[in-house]
Amino acid sequence: MPLASFSGAFEFIFSAQESNVTGGKKVGGFDKSLELLIGHIEVTILALAIAMIIALPLGLYLGHIGKGELFAVGIGNAGRAIPELAVIALVATLIGIGMRNVAPALAVLGIAPILVNTYVGVRQVDPAAVDAARGMGMSEMKIIRKVELPLAIPTVMGGVRGAAIVIVATATIAPLAGVETLGDFILNRNIYGENGLLAGAILVALLALTIEGLLALLQNRLTSDGLKLKTV
Amino acid sequence: MTSPLVVAAGEVGGDFFRERSSDTLPCQAQETHLFCWDWAKENLDRYGTPTQQHLEIVLISVLVGFAIAFALALLAHRTRWLQPPLLTATGVLYTIPSIAFFFLLLPVTGFGRDTAIIVLSAYTLQIIYRNTMLGLNNVPDSAKDAARGMGFTERQILWKVELPLAIPEIIAGLRVATASTIAIATLVVLISAGGLGTEMYGSNFNFPTAIIIAAVIIGLMVLAFDLLFLTAQRLMTPWRKARPT
Amino acid sequence: MPSGESDAQSQPGASSVRYEETTKQYPGAGAPAVDKLTLEIPAGEICVLVGPSGCGKTTAMRMVNRTVEITSGDVLIGERSVRDREPAQLRREIGYVIQQIGLFPHRTISENIGAVPQLLGWKKDRIRERSAELLELIGLDPELGDRYPVQLSGGQQQRVGVARALAADPLVMLMDEPFGAIDPINRERLQNEFLRLQAEIRKTVLFVTHDIDEAIKMGDRIAVMREGGRVEQYATPAELLMAPATEFVEDFVGADRALKRLALMRVGDVNLWEAPLAHVGQATAEVRAKLAAPDVEIPYPLLVDGERRPLGWLSERDLAREVVPAQADSPLGPVLERDDVMRDALADLLQGESQYAPVVDHQGRIAGVLSVEIISMFLASPEAKSDEHSAVERPHD
Repeated sequence: MPLASFSGAFEFIFSAQESNVTGGKKVGGFDKSLELLIGHIEVTILALAIAMIIALPLGLYLGHIGKGELFAVGIGNAGRAIPELAVIALVATLIGIGMRNVAPALAVLGIAPILVNTYVGVRQVDPAAVDAARGMGMSEMKIIRKVELPLAIPTVMGGVRGAAIVIVATATIAPLAGVETLGDFILNRNIYGENGLLAGAILVALLALTIEGLLALLQNRLTSDGLKLKTV
Repeated sequence: MTSPLVVAAGEVGGDFFRERSSDTLPCQAQETHLFCWDWAKENLDRYGTPTQQHLEIVLISVLVGFAIAFALALLAHRTRWLQPPLLTATGVLYTIPSIAFFFLLLPVTGFGRDTAIIVLSAYTLQIIYRNTMLGLNNVPDSAKDAARGMGFTERQILWKVELPLAIPEIIAGLRVATASTIAIATLVVLISAGGLGTEMYGSNFNFPTAIIIAAVIIGLMVLAFDLLFLTAQRLMTPWRKARPT
Repeated sequence: MPSGESDAQSQPGASSVRYEETTKQYPGAGAPAVDKLTLEIPAGEICVLVGPSGCGKTTAMRMVNRTVEITSGDVLIGERSVRDREPAQLRREIGYVIQQIGLFPHRTISENIGAVPQLLGWKKDRIRERSAELLELIGLDPELGDRYPVQLSGGQQQRVGVARALAADPLVMLMDEPFGAIDPINRERLQNEFLRLQAEIRKTVLFVTHDIDEAIKMGDRIAVMREGGRVEQYATPAELLMAPATEFVEDFVGADRALKRLALMRVGDVNLWEAPLAHVGQATAEVRAKLAAPDVEIPYPLLVDGERRPLGWLSERDLAREVVPAQADSPLGPVLERDDVMRDALADLLQGESQYAPVVDHQGRIAGVLSVEIISMFLASPEAKSDEHSAVERPHD
């Protein structure tokens, strides 16, 4: 088996290659790469959005009232231990294939870090600040929005980033459940060959790092300057 | 057509969606069945080898990861300016999705257990490094000051005062690292390294029972290690049980 | 090195400390933090370094165990320079007590106390023995030895801190605002306890504080410092109060110097007055006769019991009767003892509503009467002005 090379992989990404496996038909190339990239991004964003919509309010609420620590932390620990492959496999076999089924499954994986980080982030907010806000006459909702959330942003965003990592990673094997992502290159070596394999790996890695970088920037933007002055 | 057993032995290389032989999987016909107890009872022993492989890979990876991360943390503890770059470096390693990582190493280390261990160790670095640093930084300054003034050397302070007090955080990091390593190790089947992932796809892919059993074993493994670490921590830190009177 | 037996404590387990032009200059700073400090602390004495914050007192103290390195000059313990051995080695021979205490949370109290002996390689049995001995010395229940620091109160922890410093029988003790983090009530108790301890073990102690009252109470000698570690005056507390060397010292000691001196005196130091005594059942005519005597000092009769213990002050109404009643009209008010610190006695007098306070001996029998007038008369007397109270007589509980 010819061992893949990095240069071969790069070529694969940008121009369709003649496949030496399926005989004749051209595979790979820029269009295909883009298509799979977009598919990957789509399912990631969808899953992340669902996870945030569910876990953020829940985490904020529980953190605010200070109850449910066992629950939040328990889910966080459990979520960390869920094997991604099992999730994809079970979705494919029990629920059905396609974006409609896979995205929620990925979201489930993302709920755990967001929930636990949001909870912890809110709990760590200085009680004196909350007390002062309450004393000033802020409603509970306002307190959450204007005091607790801003102060908890670094921890919360940490959770979102963690969720993004695990979702992007699991989305890589989503082709097993019928969703076309960059993992396709990796999982179907017989079609795409060694170069395709490596190309897929490189693209996934780059995508993950980019998303991580963007989220880090976002976190930086959202964190108030006052918080940033605090030395770690 | 290769049998599922060959797949489990680690032969990777063909198409993922392979055909299954219906006579090896009796419950196959009833696809609506969630869990096939008969099959489970008959085939439980085939989980033996994958479980053992899984355990081995996890243990080695966590140990290697711990050794490296711990050494890095001790280094960074003494040389402050190393802390941010090391944090970033270990973070980057953690961000790269495991599958991509496995295959990125292909030209270098190829298929097999070595690649698996390298990648899995790399993933543990961030959490163990971060937690060790956290533990060390949380040691009260007054205790260190007193120790120094009493005549402890810097090395004695590290080993007799700082590290013992950092144990809870270090073990917390180990717990998380082990749990996620156990989970990610299900993917090493893709690079011919065996493990419980073998029971999760291949010919088993559309067979819920097999997947569920594998997942349950994984869950039990996580729980077992968790308990192990918790007990170790309890034993090593008797002072935390004491309550202020 | 002497072991932990009691007879060893009467041996000289203490060295003198001498600063010789000791200087600390931090790179980049303008003036030195400590500028050519020269001071001699005799063995077995408590020397207090006192001054405003930033004056260099803590820096000076820390140069003795080299937790701050000496830039130039030297510090000698006994006749040995502190520079002639490794810092870690040096520090194991010096007791070190800091404000935040710094007990090891992960070690039991006994293990904390035994920390330095363990570094020195003592045998386990000896360490355990020593820990138990020290726990007793500092007045803590020996069973606390197996507890962890978090289970002790702040005052108890600080006592353990002192015990820990004493464990290896050091030649010198360094104490940096050791009671600063304790509440005032416990602080006084700890100060008294330490003085009691020091009376027994006689260590050379270098004590840093910013509180002049603490300095006067604790110190055999006091060095009043200003910025740069410059010593404005180095003298006994009495000298400091009676003859401040410079305006700075005068300001630092405070305008109430005279009152501060009262902290150095005991009730028994002055000549007490006598009140005419009356017994229960005695004919009041006799008592009235005593009152009429020309040399009577106090115009009120004191009712006492058969043991000459005071029961109350008799009023005119009481004396109008035939015999002295069993209960006096006016209550006793504060009752003082000869050993009481004069300053506390004055406070009691001023707070109580009587003009006079009976002073009793250890058995509770009347020994005399104290009044505010007596105190002020004494302070104004020429005898008080020249009187020097020796370092040994420290008032304590």
